[in-house]
Amino acid sequence: MDYENLARTILKNVGGKENINAAWHCATRLRFKLKNEDIAQTQDIENLDGVVTVVKSAGQYQVVIGNAVAKVFDPLARLANLDTEDKPATENKQSNDTIINRFIGFISGVFTPFLGAMAGAGVLKGLLALFVATGWLQTTSGTYQIWYAAGDGFFYFLPMMLAVTAAKRLNVNQFVAVALAAALVYPTLATAISSSKGIDFFGIPVVPTTYSSSVIPILLAVWVLSYIEPVLDKIFPEAVRNILTPLAALMIMTPLTLLVVGPLGTSVGTILSNGVSAIYNFAPFVAGAIMGAFWQVFVIFGVHWTFVPVMMNNIAKLGYDPLLPILSVAVISQAGAALGVFLKTKDPKMKSLAGSSVLTAVLGITEPTIYGVTLKLKKPFICASIAGAIGGAIAGAGGAHASSFTLPSLLALPTYLGNGFVSVIIGLVVAFTLGTILTYLFGVSNDRNAKSTIVNNENSLKTETILPPVSGTIIPLTSVKDEVFASEAMGQGIAIVPDSDVIVAPVNGTISAIYPTKHAIGIISEKGAEILIHIGIDTVALKGKYFEQLVEQNQKIKQGDPILKFDRNAIKNAGYDTSIMLIITNTAAYQIEETLETKADHNWLLTLTPVTK
Amino acid sequence: MESRNFHVVAETGIHARPATLLVQAASKFSSDITLSYEGKDVNLKSIMGVMSLGVGQGADVTISASGEDEADAITAIEDTMKKEGLSD
Repeated sequence: MDYENLARTILKNVGGKENINAAWHCATRLRFKLKNEDIAQTQDIENLDGVVTVVKSAGQYQVVIGNAVAKVFDPLARLANLDTEDKPATENKQSNDTIINRFIGFISGVFTPFLGAMAGAGVLKGLLALFVATGWLQTTSGTYQIWYAAGDGFFYFLPMMLAVTAAKRLNVNQFVAVALAAALVYPTLATAISSSKGIDFFGIPVVPTTYSSSVIPILLAVWVLSYIEPVLDKIFPEAVRNILTPLAALMIMTPLTLLVVGPLGTSVGTILSNGVSAIYNFAPFVAGAIMGAFWQVFVIFGVHWTFVPVMMNNIAKLGYDPLLPILSVAVISQAGAALGVFLKTKDPKMKSLAGSSVLTAVLGITEPTIYGVTLKLKKPFICASIAGAIGGAIAGAGGAHASSFTLPSLLALPTYLGNGFVSVIIGLVVAFTLGTILTYLFGVSNDRNAKSTIVNNENSLKTETILPPVSGTIIPLTSVKDEVFASEAMGQGIAIVPDSDVIVAPVNGTISAIYPTKHAIGIISEKGAEILIHIGIDTVALKGKYFEQLVEQNQKIKQGDPILKFDRNAIKNAGYDTSIMLIITNTAAYQIEETLETKADHNWLLTLTPVTK
Repeated sequence: MESRNFHVVAETGIHARPATLLVQAASKFSSDITLSYEGKDVNLKSIMGVMSLGVGQGADVTISASGEDEADAITAIEDTMKKEGLSD
């Protein structure tokens, strides 16, 4: 069979690459997310030699090919890929979300997996600052230095953490991404770049930029890498690809990031810091409002470092800096917003994170607050920015100044003593309370997650494997003699014609539902899959007869635990089909692969890979 | 916020087929839609949520929607309930 030709014809008939938002394949099907399913010539595709049929379900356009699916998919991906380099752009147009929303979603998404660890490290840093402020520890002591490294290590090497999660999301070799991040924060290189002499790459000067604790440079780098890696994979023959692709990727990406991404941030930052300083000279309260509102945005983009030399310079020349106190106001406004979230939210996970992040933000560590709480929920971040702007304007207008350079937080208060100290205090109080009030009133929309007994945990879904709930013969769900299941309207899944009478747990998880007539059981797995096991067709009419439940609702179960007994022969004799249907009801969150086995034994049945939205 | 009470008359209650149809109807709307039964609230856009209530014949349930298209959502769900013979 000419798969290349088949792929080309299918591509043409689904409406061409312009009509494809996403395409992938499972064991037997090509799966498309089409922009417009109506354009697709379904009839023509079904009539193609090599195509079994077409199934449209759950927003997917599925072309059933059979075992040769990979042979069709490869040329298809190549044909579609050549001209779909602008795929993200077309996705943007298609999606209702604005680019900013998608960007924010991506940023908070890459932070989500390590929020707990980051908050823990943040609290440690905050406590240390407190210990120093109270005089219990000296910054020169070994105890302090060891604990400080323990707390700050996470933040200093933040690009490496981000490389792990961003690479996973963008489907890039994680270790190459981490190696790239490691190169950016490599101590020897960092020192050389920032030295007065500077360094160059084949004559191109490298602009001094600090990458430790930065966020955007590594995300951009991994994003670029996600385009370069497939190209390199195509260039190198398979036998040497494993080594040559990472080699070339690192050789190209490291200098590229240092030469392009760094200078980009630095030049934007320099314009910003010069601009703000200029504004301060004729309208201090405007500069205060700008810094109060946008400081955290500067931090997110990593352009805030360019302000540091300006501030240091001010302190050296004038003996004080007027911007530093305003930064504390901006920081405190985030703490206020986090408190607002803490008071308002009903989601227990968010509540605990918001609560602890109030404390860390007050002490000057805002990363957990921003990436875990305020920016993630978007509106609280805006509320904090408004509160920061007003507080900042007050501090700016009052002529607040800092006599030495400290990281902005409440602990920096002693350095603000003197001129304009009262305005700092007022600015801080206003920023904090206003941040709290605005967020409480407008920042937290009605918590749909908390209302439902089913926790919507799409963010924390993990790849998992579903084992058979019963032994027997595996058949496609689409072949089941019930329209609701066969159409996959409830979700994708698989069916088994059983040869035993006991249903066992297919995963570790919790029994979320037992229908009163006992013929259907819902399970939520530890990793987030919502699984419905339905015993027989129309067996709801038996009203529980021939079924014996072995577990209770909300009971925790381990893979293999018996959960239900049914009398197979009696049900069959009563005139019912005894097929067991296993359906993933949150199918939309996954890419699902079905087994090719025909016997349900201890082999895997389905693998679920979370898809990022 | 729009809400409506339904008395479930279907013999099999809100089981696989009707649950699927209700979820499909609800998912077309951007509003948050909740099904309440015996003091428990679930998201009407989640099949697992709806099934977990085990709503049987004779049950009284409340469906409420809040959001931009709440009125349309409730109407569409009421139509589905009637069309599938779930309520009168």
